[in-house]
Amino acid sequence: MLERLLSLVAVFAPLSLLSFGGGQAIIPEMQHKTVDAQHWLDGKAFADIFGLSRAAPGPSTLIVALIGWQVAGFLGALTATIAIFLPSSLLLYGISTWWRRNPDSPMREAIDKGLAPVATGLFFAGPVVILRSAHAGYLEMATTAGVCLILFFTKAGPYAIAMGIVALYAALYAVAGHALL
Amino acid sequence: MEANPPGDGDRRTSFVSLRALFFAFFRLGLMTFGGAVQSWLHRDIIVRRKWADEETFVSGLSMATVLPGANPVNMSLYLGMRIRGGIGGLIAVVGIVLPAFCIILLLGLAFHRLIGFPVVHFVLAGLAASGVGVTFFTAMKVAWQLPRSAFNIVMGVLVFLASALLRLPMVPIVAIAVPLSIGYAYWGSRHTRDA
Repeated sequence: MLERLLSLVAVFAPLSLLSFGGGQAIIPEMQHKTVDAQHWLDGKAFADIFGLSRAAPGPSTLIVALIGWQVAGFLGALTATIAIFLPSSLLLYGISTWWRRNPDSPMREAIDKGLAPVATGLFFAGPVVILRSAHAGYLEMATTAGVCLILFFTKAGPYAIAMGIVALYAALYAVAGHALL
Repeated sequence: MEANPPGDGDRRTSFVSLRALFFAFFRLGLMTFGGAVQSWLHRDIIVRRKWADEETFVSGLSMATVLPGANPVNMSLYLGMRIRGGIGGLIAVVGIVLPAFCIILLLGLAFHRLIGFPVVHFVLAGLAASGVGVTFFTAMKVAWQLPRSAFNIVMGVLVFLASALLRLPMVPIVAIAVPLSIGYAYWGSRHTRDA
């Protein structure tokens, strides 16, 4: 058991520090490590788990919880989750602590100003990449635009939006399911 | 923008209890689908609760995006630290991850039964599309608040095109754009200081 938990840490902790740009970036490497190298699961199971992790709320990197579960049950899920989040979190902790201790450094100000346009460009790219990879149709695009308008004109929170979407899509499916799929 | 000393994001907010911090992040962790966690953090923590300011959000977003690690987790850690220090960062991360961790395990257990119903896929696609809408909306709000210099606009658009249309991987984009952009900002600040 301990051996399995340690092998989870050995696979996921280095991936944590390689996940530049977020969890999506390490998915191919993760698939290679867990499917081809460790044989923890087969390719189809990995694809299923990937779809599931995108459907769940929260960070998509939580796919590691499902892999950990396959390898060593609940403890495996917990170990994999800590292994993927802890190293990158410690790095961010260290850097932002340095950040606060050097408030007047001109380099810091330059980093702050210089990173902003890059981060904003990437932030905009995120939704486009997701829409393209999901092969979004008119309904999805209308949903995206509708949500933008609701956010602009109301104070709707995540619960209201999620409930509204579930109700709307369930109703659409009930009325015209066969035409839509 | 220059009016506020950098790093002032936390000082103007009133005291936030760790309990309130935990439940705020827990609530968002439970209901943020389609990769929209950062956007809901912005709407809830910055706009609604005003626990940190816009400038703090943008510099947090920069660090959370550029450094390795899941962006929502990095962003929660950064905001938690700015609101209540190191322990606040830990509480925020546990708050955002815990509900998603439980739900994904439950989904994993129920998966083989759920997958038989096409309506499940249909509703999940709707949730993903709504997440994209939230992200797009927040991206526009954030972009609107940046100083609209020619350099910022060109850099932002180029990074967007490289990532969204050319589908270049993250590492080369960051490796080229970040030093250029920081170098330009550094050169610009020295230039104005010397003048």
